[in-house]
Amino acid sequence: MVSIKLDKVSLVYKLHEKLTLSAPDRRLGATGGRIEGSGRKQFVQALDDVSFELTAGDRLGLVGPNGAGKTTLLKVLYGIYEPSGGTVGIEGKVDALFNINIGFRREATGRRNIVLRGLINGWSEAEIEEKMEDIIAFSELGDFIDLPFKSYSQGMAARLAFSVATALDPEILLMDEWIGAGDASFQEKAKRRMDELAEKAGIIVLASHSESLIQSVCTKRLTLKGGRVESLTTAPTKRARTATKF
Amino acid sequence: MISALNSALDDIFGAMRLRRVWIALAHEDIGDQHRRTTLGPLWLLVNYLAFAGTFVFVFQPAGKDAAGYAAYVAIGLMVWFYLMEVISLSVPLFKREESFIEGTTLPLFVYVMRLTVQSAIRAGYAVAGCVMILLISGPPLTPAWLWSLAGLLLILLTTPALITVFAFIGAFFPDSEFIVGNLMRVGMFFTPVFWVYNGQGTIQTFAYLWNPFTYFLDIARIPILMGKFPSNAFAFTGVAAILMWAMALLLLGRYRRQVVFLI
Ligand SMILES: Nc1ncnc2c1ncn2[C@@H]1O[C@H](COP(=O)(O)OP(=O)(O)OP(=O)(O)O)[C@@H](O)[C@H]1O
Ligand SMILES: [Mg+2]
Repeated sequence: MVSIKLDKVSLVYKLHEKLTLSAPDRRLGATGGRIEGSGRKQFVQALDDVSFELTAGDRLGLVGPNGAGKTTLLKVLYGIYEPSGGTVGIEGKVDALFNINIGFRREATGRRNIVLRGLINGWSEAEIEEKMEDIIAFSELGDFIDLPFKSYSQGMAARLAFSVATALDPEILLMDEWIGAGDASFQEKAKRRMDELAEKAGIIVLASHSESLIQSVCTKRLTLKGGRVESLTTAPTKRARTATKF
Repeated sequence: MISALNSALDDIFGAMRLRRVWIALAHEDIGDQHRRTTLGPLWLLVNYLAFAGTFVFVFQPAGKDAAGYAAYVAIGLMVWFYLMEVISLSVPLFKREESFIEGTTLPLFVYVMRLTVQSAIRAGYAVAGCVMILLISGPPLTPAWLWSLAGLLLILLTTPALITVFAFIGAFFPDSEFIVGNLMRVGMFFTPVFWVYNGQGTIQTFAYLWNPFTYFLDIARIPILMGKFPSNAFAFTGVAAILMWAMALLLLGRYRRQVVFLI
């Protein structure tokens, strides 16, 4: 059973260099986590007491101002960061799209990069072979697939990254602000694929500043502020609303 | 202690399952470094031969020692350059792999093995050059050469541990990159790479006996040059390898989850 369960998760970034801050008595603004401590012992409380649970089919939208802790939370879910406190329980195969350039080699062709990405994700050679044409077709890169990755535009890179990340039907897909780079038609296509994924009882967690994207994709919404959960609501999506009309 | 060991072995076995990742990445690295060059990685062979040739030409003693000296320098430089490259590339290893470490959940040992394979491939060209010099300068081919081969294998087996230890040092102490860089540059003169030790001077004696690199060079060099098994050097290198691996496992087990916060 696919599920995510976070219990009182907190995460602290220790700063090893002095932060350059103009005023020592800083007010707590809307931006960023909380800076605490002083001198060489400064740290940022990026997540504080975050608890929630997701089950199969959930599509969670992470929202909040810059520095609220969205990316940090996704990286905790993926397992890159070990939380400083609390527990994380994840059931299911996780795939993530953070920075579209990670794992791509500039000099290698798109095709070779698909192989490298696949290997990094732990796929077998046969799986890569099998999915290769699907991935190329979904990305719509055409002949560019045999050109070096460095000749791709941002959006083309995003297409490739998304196509690879979703090719093997991950059970849990984590995404961070990646979609902005794709054009409208690709965004539409990507949304459909995310729908399929969620219908196959997967979980999607998407961090974004785009209200319309969150509304069209997500069924739940978690608002973070200064590393704390401000609200967790189950919002009816546009699709759900239109669906009830019938 | 036990949990640290378990955690380290988790990381290592995880990396072994993903061996195709680091083998593929290492090949990409070598390819990228020589892309658009006419000779490609053959430049590595040319570099080695140019360097070894220069040393032989400049420092070769007159008389009948001449042939032995060419072999002495050829093997010495091969091993020394390998160790120097491995150590100086390991210190900034985690920093260099920053985007992978912050964006994927690959075991850290994947990066260690990536550098190991890359260094081994590059060393292969130097080995080819070294064999060429040996065949030309002509120390007799004896079964003792196999001990030299065993020596090289021992060095290769120590490499991942060496890389791990220096990578952690580099992650925890950013200054170490410069300290190690300087030490390695100066180290060449304090290690019998191109000068021969025969009981002269106190500094030389000290540098010969108390420099761990001496023994790494000796296990590859003495069998071919003298036709005998250097038991002391092998014993020392073996112990050093075990210590390095113990330290590597400890660091990996204790601190691997901290690395992402340090880079
Ligand atoms: N590597 C780091 N070292 C120190 N502090 C960090 C680091 N990464 C993030 N932070 C801090 O943690 C807090 C949360 O950052 P995070 O990147 O999770 O925010 P976010 O919600 O993704 O913001 P954005 O909307 O700008 O993408 C911020 O205050 C940020 O300054
Ligand atoms: Mg972010």
